[in-house]
Amino acid sequence: MDNVSYQRFPTVRIRDIKDDVLKFELRDTDASIANALRRIMIAEVPTLAIDLVEIESNSSVLNDEFLAHRLGLIPIVSDRAMEMRLSRDCDACDGDGRCEYCSIEFHLSVKCTGDQTLDVTSLDLVSSDPSIIPVDAAGRAADMGGFESNDTRGILIVKLRKGQELKLRAIARKGIGKDHAKWSPAATVTFQYEPEIHINEALMETLTLEEKQEWIDSSPTKVFELDPVSQQVVVVDPEAYTYDEEVLKKAEAMGKPGLVEIYSKEDSFIFTVESTGAIKASQMFLNAIEILKSKLDAVRLSFDTEEADDQFGELGAHMRGGGI
Amino acid sequence: MNAPDRYERFVVPEGMKKVAYERDMKVMNAATFTLQREDHTIGNILRMQLHRDPSVLFAGYKLPHPLQYRVVVKIQTNSQSSPMQAYNLAITDLTKELDHLKATFEQETNQKQAEYY
Ligand SMILES: [Zn+2]
Repeated sequence: MDNVSYQRFPTVRIRDIKDDVLKFELRDTDASIANALRRIMIAEVPTLAIDLVEIESNSSVLNDEFLAHRLGLIPIVSDRAMEMRLSRDCDACDGDGRCEYCSIEFHLSVKCTGDQTLDVTSLDLVSSDPSIIPVDAAGRAADMGGFESNDTRGILIVKLRKGQELKLRAIARKGIGKDHAKWSPAATVTFQYEPEIHINEALMETLTLEEKQEWIDSSPTKVFELDPVSQQVVVVDPEAYTYDEEVLKKAEAMGKPGLVEIYSKEDSFIFTVESTGAIKASQMFLNAIEILKSKLDAVRLSFDTEEADDQFGELGAHMRGGGI
Repeated sequence: MNAPDRYERFVVPEGMKKVAYERDMKVMNAATFTLQREDHTIGNILRMQLHRDPSVLFAGYKLPHPLQYRVVVKIQTNSQSSPMQAYNLAITDLTKELDHLKATFEQETNQKQAEYY
């Protein structure tokens, strides 16, 4: 009995991997695993975000809580978040959430003295830990040769006019998207089923060239194409198919049902993972696997529950044996 | 003012069991597992993995209420197994699948990164 297993062995093929975008194919598993991983990347992979703001002075046009909210939404480099402690169960500070193990402090102090409007951005936040800083999307992209931009302006928080001042202390803590969306490392995480498209070639050849083109054009996305040489209808991009069934309806209307058959492969998924920059997209996926594993571990039955059931089983067998 | 704390959605209250197991008193080899502070993420993968086990006659899950943060998994097996055995096996198999997925993914990313340089 101990050696039975119904385990699957998923396979992965990576299409594109950048710091903030990851595209890959996941095969030989089912939608429940794909969806669990997607849900965890969005809601349960931890990051750091500003959670407490103490404002010393604020003469800007935005009120204190508005600023605190804006600060919370700034993505912060969170490579260390997996190892960090949640303030709630940090024993070094008794849940106070202000010690070095569970928080990072930022200071911001800006005053506009010139006649020009002054932009206060995420670059003005000074961190107590040089490795934990706000994500600078422009800067990171430039490093990767993403887009050509030398003006790393940071994320705009508020604009100040002459004489206005903003001075505050902000504390960033570890958290998850389930608690508040500001902790989600995901910009978008999606997966789609891989479509399988079969053209009935014999039936297709009964169509005139104009009819073929008309049928191809019935698809709202560019899935099919007319081969200029062979004049045959070919599938150019199966993934462009959005399961809209327009081509099936068109075939029906043309009196050619069964012209094309389209299935979705039940065990094949195309993932797109986009990160806010807090964690690399590929690390987000790996962290999601780790978290799902620890979640599974947490729902294992405790030893005493199993033991109590064993005793119950014996009692049950005894009672059944004792009857009639 | 009387809003519940946000963390109540994912922190098991003190004194509450993460997993409660209850045998069905009317049906042989049937039981209910109540998982506190879990949702579709765990419920659905457990259900689907249990369906792969031929000794499982029934496996289903539900979220009784969106504001009650628990998921209920019901399992019935034939005499070759027991709900507890099937439940444990499903968790073990899923964990092994994830280990395999992690190794495969890491291998593929390393290969892809090697292509770049
Ligand atoms: Zn602490």
